[in-house]
Amino acid sequence: MVNSAETDKKISKRFRWIDPFLEGWSIFKESILGRIGLTLLIIFALMALFSFIPPHIDPMYHPMTGVDPAVSHSTGPSMRHWLGTDFMGRDLLSQLLAGARVAFMVGVSAAFMSIFLGTAIGMIAGYSGRGIDTLLMRLADMIMVMPTLLVILILSSLFGQLNIWTIVLIIALFRWPGVSRVIRAQTLSLKQRPFIEAARVAGASHLRIIFRHIMPNVLPLSFLYMTFRVTSAIIIEAALAFLGFGDPGTVSWGMMLQWVWKTGHMFSAPYWLLPPGICISLITLSFYMLGRAMDEVLDPRLRKEEGAG
Amino acid sequence: MELRRYIFRRLIQIIIIFFVILTVLFLLFRLAPGDPVSRMIDPDMTPEDAEVLISQLGLDQPLWTQYVYYVKNFFTGNFGDSFHYGQPVVRIIGNRLPNTILLFTSSIILSALVGIFLGKIASWHKGKKTDTWMTIGALVTHTVFLPWLALIMIWVFAYKLDWFPITGMISEEVWLDPDVGLLAKFLDVLHHMVLPLGTLFLIHFGSYLLIMRSSMLETLKEDYIITARAKGLEEDVIRDHHAAPNAALPVVTSVGLSLAFSINGGALTETVFTWPGIGRELVFSVSHNDYPLAQASFLLIAIVVLLSNLVVDVLYAYLDPRIRY
Repeated sequence: MVNSAETDKKISKRFRWIDPFLEGWSIFKESILGRIGLTLLIIFALMALFSFIPPHIDPMYHPMTGVDPAVSHSTGPSMRHWLGTDFMGRDLLSQLLAGARVAFMVGVSAAFMSIFLGTAIGMIAGYSGRGIDTLLMRLADMIMVMPTLLVILILSSLFGQLNIWTIVLIIALFRWPGVSRVIRAQTLSLKQRPFIEAARVAGASHLRIIFRHIMPNVLPLSFLYMTFRVTSAIIIEAALAFLGFGDPGTVSWGMMLQWVWKTGHMFSAPYWLLPPGICISLITLSFYMLGRAMDEVLDPRLRKEEGAG
Repeated sequence: MELRRYIFRRLIQIIIIFFVILTVLFLLFRLAPGDPVSRMIDPDMTPEDAEVLISQLGLDQPLWTQYVYYVKNFFTGNFGDSFHYGQPVVRIIGNRLPNTILLFTSSIILSALVGIFLGKIASWHKGKKTDTWMTIGALVTHTVFLPWLALIMIWVFAYKLDWFPITGMISEEVWLDPDVGLLAKFLDVLHHMVLPLGTLFLIHFGSYLLIMRSSMLETLKEDYIITARAKGLEEDVIRDHHAAPNAALPVVTSVGLSLAFSINGGALTETVFTWPGIGRELVFSVSHNDYPLAQASFLLIAIVVLLSNLVVDVLYAYLDPRIRY
């Protein structure tokens, strides 16, 4: 724990945006949930990194186009294919590794965009108040009740096959309201604090107050929400791919499940059915645990309560 | 009285939101690449029939008039004909709606009740083994990928153990047999419902458990719990009659907040189990380029979501006498 005299000195010196994160890290390290989550995420990140290797060993290990000429149907694990192959003779392990890359890509970019939108809109709504606030929050309410997956479905029935970046963009556009509500509430309470008053009296512009004085105080909260948004983005993309509306040019875990389900291999090929589902579930779990651990960092009331759970 | 005025105000809000959704969908429909007429009219239709439908849907009119037609058709239930079924769309989704509502409401109620009950127990044994295992179990089941869980359920309970049917909602031999009574039909549907309901239950109860647990821990610190203890009440009475009803309120809120999530999950579950509901119809129609059906299913789901939000809010106001609108 950082004692209060030290904190005071830090603040009086100059507020650095990194300080709350460093302080948070020391608390975060103590959380079992956080450590498990982080470990799992590092494993998944390594999988994503290793996904570049198999196609270089042999073109038949390419997750999308590589076909083993010696295999004509789905085969179980072997020395040649550690996790087996799918119905076309494509290597399941390299598909699984490529899936990790897609999951991170989709999750992190969609979460980042929706957090960016949510933080900006939340700060603007909270800071400006009145008409703009009401308008933005009504919009947030409306978007919040829409089931994102089904919205994307109806959009793809109108615009045809969506590519992965369009999907990411739509997810981001539909997932900001939760964040913006929290950020707005935080901004409302910050607005009443003396230091904002002081900045205004000193002649700071609205933009300067928002970005220089309010933003550093709400950013930790935004980052907390980022972990939960990563989770929901990964799930939505996976579900979409599972239903057959994913980007046909990418190999995601949802895609692998769609293939095993649609080609009727789910009863005969557990080696194909199990890994992608376990991966999606575990990556969701680990981001979720990471989020809960960060929650403890940001909400001191929770710290003492959580035991091993 | 107050509550009635609140419901009225919320209904007006819902109507406005729905109009916005309706309008946005109309604009997107016009913006989308391709010919709007071919999107709404089945290519297999005879030219005469197509003519009639085009003028009914107002597709030969200028844009503004088209919008008026579109809104009018919505309220008169004229969504055009499904390409796949060759029937008016409204009849198809009318058949599917009760099935979706049955699965959706029973799964939410079941998982909320069990979540509240288990969360109460977990908080009561805070820090002990029961609590740890319940929390871990809730976290894991809550984050499992739903369609995959559904496939695993089918694989284990319908294929390996052969306890339940693999797909569908009814067995035809039971329903076509004139000698079979109502009870047998009911049991047949229940038999088909166990796996989809179980899947949705497993996915949902975890988050309710976690919310109930932390809300219980907060409530137990309140003054009135100390008062109850000081009065010498039994611990069971304090837990079940003083703490739990108050602690359950955040669960009701979270049911409302997670409705969109539940609807997504419902559509996935219906699809995997081929449960004849609206969610499955939406997925099916999108993959078969059946736009009239997709549009109607989507709008109906939007109505279901908006109205269930209202139900949850009213329930909340009813349960918590401190809240008066």
